[in-house]
Amino acid sequence: MEKGIRYIASLLLVALVAYNSVYFKKLDQITTGKNLFNAAEYASRFWNEKLPRHTTKAIGIDVLLDLLQTDKDMAFKDYSHALGISNIKYFLIKGSGIVQAVGENQVSLETKSEGRSTQLFLATEYVFGNAVRDASGEIDINAFTNSMDFNNVSAEINKIIRERVIPPFSSKVKIGDRVDFIGAIELNQEHLNTQSIEVIPIELKIKD
Amino acid sequence: MKFSQKHLTALILVLLGLALIRCKTRQSSDEPKKIAIVVSTLNNPWFVFLAERASAKAKELGYESKVFDSQNNTSLETDHFENAISSGYDAILFNPTDADGSVVNVKNATAAGVPVFCMDREINSGVAATSQILSDSYSGCVTIAKFFVETLNKKGKYIELLGLVGDNNTWNRSKGFHSVVDHYPDLKMVAQQSADFDRNKAMEVLESILQANPDVDAVFCGNDAMAMGAYQALAAAGKADKVKVFGFDGAEDVVRSIQDGKIKATGMQFPEVMAQTAAVMADQYFKGKRDFPKKMPVAVEMVKMDNVENYAAYGKK
Repeated sequence: MEKGIRYIASLLLVALVAYNSVYFKKLDQITTGKNLFNAAEYASRFWNEKLPRHTTKAIGIDVLLDLLQTDKDMAFKDYSHALGISNIKYFLIKGSGIVQAVGENQVSLETKSEGRSTQLFLATEYVFGNAVRDASGEIDINAFTNSMDFNNVSAEINKIIRERVIPPFSSKVKIGDRVDFIGAIELNQEHLNTQSIEVIPIELKIKD
Repeated sequence: MKFSQKHLTALILVLLGLALIRCKTRQSSDEPKKIAIVVSTLNNPWFVFLAERASAKAKELGYESKVFDSQNNTSLETDHFENAISSGYDAILFNPTDADGSVVNVKNATAAGVPVFCMDREINSGVAATSQILSDSYSGCVTIAKFFVETLNKKGKYIELLGLVGDNNTWNRSKGFHSVVDHYPDLKMVAQQSADFDRNKAMEVLESILQANPDVDAVFCGNDAMAMGAYQALAAAGKADKVKVFGFDGAEDVVRSIQDGKIKATGMQFPEVMAQTAAVMADQYFKGKRDFPKKMPVAVEMVKMDNVENYAAYGKK
């Protein structure tokens, strides 16, 4: 009888030790854990701390359009940024305009300067791509060991815009409003088209 | 200490052996340096173009070059690297077969003092290669996906044909595409299958998928060869006019098909730019430069009906 109790107690002890010695985790938890980069945190820091230093130096859209007409190469050299080898360049721009139309995917805006008017489109639906990440020239791909981390930074910056910039604007904007804006645009240096410029907004203010 | 006759003979033999090895592995300084161009496959015209352009630029810079076809086989690629290293090639312009499997080849070459410049496809190591000149596939597919969503008006059923599952470009393209499309719940992916970047396989795979999903609205393909295969399958099924096909690469037949309204869009890559940049970097390396950017992205431009006149196969007009 005593032997039996000792036998059961030993078995229980072995089972207890074995149970506490082995842990099972899902493989995706392990692989996720390896990558310590937090794109959302990085994007938030970029948005709050780094980007404002550059938006204060954004070029006026009318000044840029004039310069593109008179000296395209200088406009691209002095005011655009791009990664690696690219005809597609990004600019940080600012301006003010009157709302002409409020569409499902964008708000059409007219800016006027010295008798010339320009139509721009503020993106309110399709906020994707690298315009805001790359327009400042602040972020370098070679600082990232993993390209996907770098791509995710863009996705997180765009998420900030979709969540913080666009909803308060979209809910109020109407035809005839004057809007002050800061944003990022993309232009192809080799095949320049300034007829339908789309602005990815960074700051939008409806003037009273 | 005195050398015996035996020791002296052994020493002379060793020195002679070393001299012979050196003769075999290093050409004299008068001979032009040699560049090996190791390409994942020559069964796809895009990579043939990449290899030809790299070879032409190497020749223009005064170097000898030889193209090695890995036939999408990492073991064969390893053989090519071993041959290149033992045959005294001075640099390797490299288009990898596998993002993970190719890393060891690059490391071996670098350890042997042979710089490696990756072209188009990435390896999963930030330090092994001297530099990686890469198509920005992710961003290119973000742009295509935005157009995809606009074209389908945010709703419909679609199929995705993936490339080689071991290639980073396959996933960069797919992830770029989904980073946009997945925001729209009314766009439903009814099938996602690999067709290995191959035209015939894409045709077979799509024929099979269409049997179960005859009412799809669009097909997104990870490269143009698959887009052409998909279009063939749709034409055979009498659905070419209804189903919109999107590709990636900028291949000649797809650029033509965009003009003809058969394919909706593609992402134009610039293989000549990548090949030439890699060859120029090798030249700079030979001349002493060492501080190369580890990654050099090359932007991808979307080609569609309204701008196709600006583009030719594999680049600009």
